[in-house]
Amino acid sequence: MTPFYFGTGSRRLFGLYTPARVGAVGIRSVVLCPAWGQEYLRAHRSMRQLANMLNSAGFHVLRFDYFGTGDSAGDMTQADLAGWEGDIGAAIDELKDTCGASRVALVGLRLGGALAARVAARRASDVDALVLWDPVVDGRAYVDEIMLTGKQKALGLGRSTQRAADQGGGHEILGFPLTERLADDFSKIDVAAQIGSVRARTEVVVSHTLASHGGLAAALAAYAGQPPRAVELIESQAAWINVKEVGSGAVPVKILQRIVQWLA
Amino acid sequence: MVGMTDRIKEQAHVLGPRQSLVGILSPATPAPRDDIPYVVVLNAGIIHRIGPNRMSVNLARELCARGFNVLRFDLSGIGDSDPREDVLPPLEAATADLREALDWLEQSRGARRFVLVGLCSGADQSVIYGGDDRRVIGVVLLDPSIPRTGRFYRRHFATRMVNGRTWMAILTGRHALWGKLLRRISPTPPEPGNARDVAVDSPAVRAFLENAYQIAIKQGIKILAVFAGAGGREYEINYREQILDAFPNVNFGTSMEIEYVKQSDHTFSFESDRRHVIKVIVDWVQKIAGNPDRT
Repeated sequence: MTPFYFGTGSRRLFGLYTPARVGAVGIRSVVLCPAWGQEYLRAHRSMRQLANMLNSAGFHVLRFDYFGTGDSAGDMTQADLAGWEGDIGAAIDELKDTCGASRVALVGLRLGGALAARVAARRASDVDALVLWDPVVDGRAYVDEIMLTGKQKALGLGRSTQRAADQGGGHEILGFPLTERLADDFSKIDVAAQIGSVRARTEVVVSHTLASHGGLAAALAAYAGQPPRAVELIESQAAWINVKEVGSGAVPVKILQRIVQWLA
Repeated sequence: MVGMTDRIKEQAHVLGPRQSLVGILSPATPAPRDDIPYVVVLNAGIIHRIGPNRMSVNLARELCARGFNVLRFDLSGIGDSDPREDVLPPLEAATADLREALDWLEQSRGARRFVLVGLCSGADQSVIYGGDDRRVIGVVLLDPSIPRTGRFYRRHFATRMVNGRTWMAILTGRHALWGKLLRRISPTPPEPGNARDVAVDSPAVRAFLENAYQIAIKQGIKILAVFAGAGGREYEINYREQILDAFPNVNFGTSMEIEYVKQSDHTFSFESDRRHVIKVIVDWVQKIAGNPDRT
């Protein structure tokens, strides 16, 4: 286990590298792309457990925090999605350099799935496999959903979620600032429209079905390459939903096992 | 403060004799005097070291920008730290981890004095551990466990009695009172409810905590206790001085300062509350530790 900082002096990113525990044919490696806000916090245990299982299956793994999140430098008011896609790119380069892999797999949870799909499409020569785990598919629906939950909590406390314009504006969502710039970026996410441009082998695994999955399933079905693509439902508790107000989600073991099995 | 915190170059470490605890050190630049304490931030429950709403990161950076070295780290089995291989119960494991972290700072950085900061379980661990380690000079307790008192119940019921929704719930059978009455006449055992609530009000836990505070105060440890009073927390604490009444045998004197953030929930979810609490903490740490900016 090696926690470290990488990236540039003005964009220092926290990473945690865990090496493969067993030898495998060739060097296999995975970058885990986290979710956003409370979903990121709640899913931390699951991401760690997934990394652990991947290590046992012979994968080198890099977990990391986007700029302005987690232990990385900066704060959310300085963040945007283009920057976070660049952070995934930096993580790919760092992992390749660390373990000597020529290509990596990306596993993205929730917002991380949408970002990973964009990066996989753009860096086809570096990304040989893509796993979208409960991905945010429709950005507009995602913003509506998180705004609603944020406002419900604030309403219970008799508070407003509105943020000051000189602090990036937008709203406070369950303790995390969703600036106007980020909300605008989020609302443009459309994974269904984009997934066709991903050349990497692709798996989509979901713990429960959302309305937006219909469009994604149709887009995956339209893929003419091999192997065929589909949305795989493995009914589980979601890693990113709070369990009994402890600030953490459940660890959906069946989904983690499926991700490892599919990658292996 | 963004400009100041942007210049901080944090370091990631694996620490402790087993090389199993993951921590982030925020080193102040220039290095403070040797007698300026290190600040160590503990986990809040099972949330990893960034803290609820990333509060521990923001706190560490603000303190660092004011000249303090700060470590935030994960206890064993939480966040990125490996579980312990011994079979210590949770509290003993947490205090053993804390000692390992402080020893590491002493051996690797020459740290001699410490201020501990904890939220929720981290607050309880801080005061319990502090009394057992002479290097600890202060503890910041964010929403520690405090038993309910007679005054708490009087205020609680007085508030409920004048609340129209309470009467409506009683009249329509939706009030918890009916559930309690039913459970009394029911042959099935009662629901356990919130274990933390039950435990903290038990005589044994009350005595244990009171003893921990007594020892800490006797050792000269300064305490900043910060309480939130909303978002469900009002069912556990509803007035500023509750900690004084809950532990009547502790002579807090001038050793403790209390901040009551009535409108805030337990994890300080709102930016304005976090900014306020972080400012209170930074000012207090500067007051008890000496101001590193004024060398």
